[in-house]
Amino acid sequence: MAELDDIIHQPLRLKIMAALNALPAATGLEFSRLKKLTGATDGNLGAHIETLAKAGYVSVEKAFVGKKPQTTVIATAAGRGAFARHVATLQEIIAGKQV
Amino acid sequence: MIDSKEASAALADIDDIVQRVKQSQLYELASFAAVWWGLLVFAANLVTWLWPVYAVYAWVAADTLGAGGLVALRIFNPPHHSHGAAFNVRLLLVFVLFFAFGYLCTNVIGHFGPRQLGTFWPLYFMLFYTLAGLWFGYAFMAIGVGISALTLIGYFYIGEAFPLWMAFVNGGGLILGGLWMRRI
Repeated sequence: MAELDDIIHQPLRLKIMAALNALPAATGLEFSRLKKLTGATDGNLGAHIETLAKAGYVSVEKAFVGKKPQTTVIATAAGRGAFARHVATLQEIIAGKQV
Repeated sequence: MIDSKEASAALADIDDIVQRVKQSQLYELASFAAVWWGLLVFAANLVTWLWPVYAVYAWVAADTLGAGGLVALRIFNPPHHSHGAAFNVRLLLVFVLFFAFGYLCTNVIGHFGPRQLGTFWPLYFMLFYTLAGLWFGYAFMAIGVGISALTLIGYFYIGEAFPLWMAFVNGGGLILGGLWMRRI
């Protein structure tokens, strides 16, 4: 019986993973774009990205575009796999295969 | 473990965010296209206003560069699904059909003067923007309806300065609309 992934299940982290997973592999989203999409605050988003990065589900790339720092968050292969399993588990719950 | 209601809510959240990501990517690409066309249309209208004798060359150049820019945008931003090709001949056919129908209306069925041409093409172009808005997001519709309304105001109420009006309304409108799309 598959288990829900506790790291992904938190609502904001679920949104972050869903947004990143909607992109092609190795493509990421800028922090500001992710903030707008999820409706999170800077601090909250940063903390949850850190949790996902510690679990190996996302990688964070920091670069300078001109003089502006730019942070890009990318879902790793492990993160994509975990997200796919989490979604499959949610679907199983809805189908009544799990209680 | 969660119940099926909570699981449904979680899946609905996922669907919602995936739709928003897709729309955001579409707006980003569309904004490049709108700004590019806006610059060309602004320049072509300005040439029409300042040197009417060169207007026809300006518009042929603007249309060619505009269509070429969109094809290039497609090549550099290929679709992510596996059955999409970077260069799609259908995109080129869309332009051929678009301009062929416009030409048929303005030069074969009707014989439009400069003022009518300057009104027809933006309205025709914006019709597609407005229709696209029904499927792809309200920004397309807002830009389409806004520029169409201002074009008609210009047609009925602006005199000699109509090409200048259109430079700002059509060209400027597309540039501002494109920049706005990037902020949504």
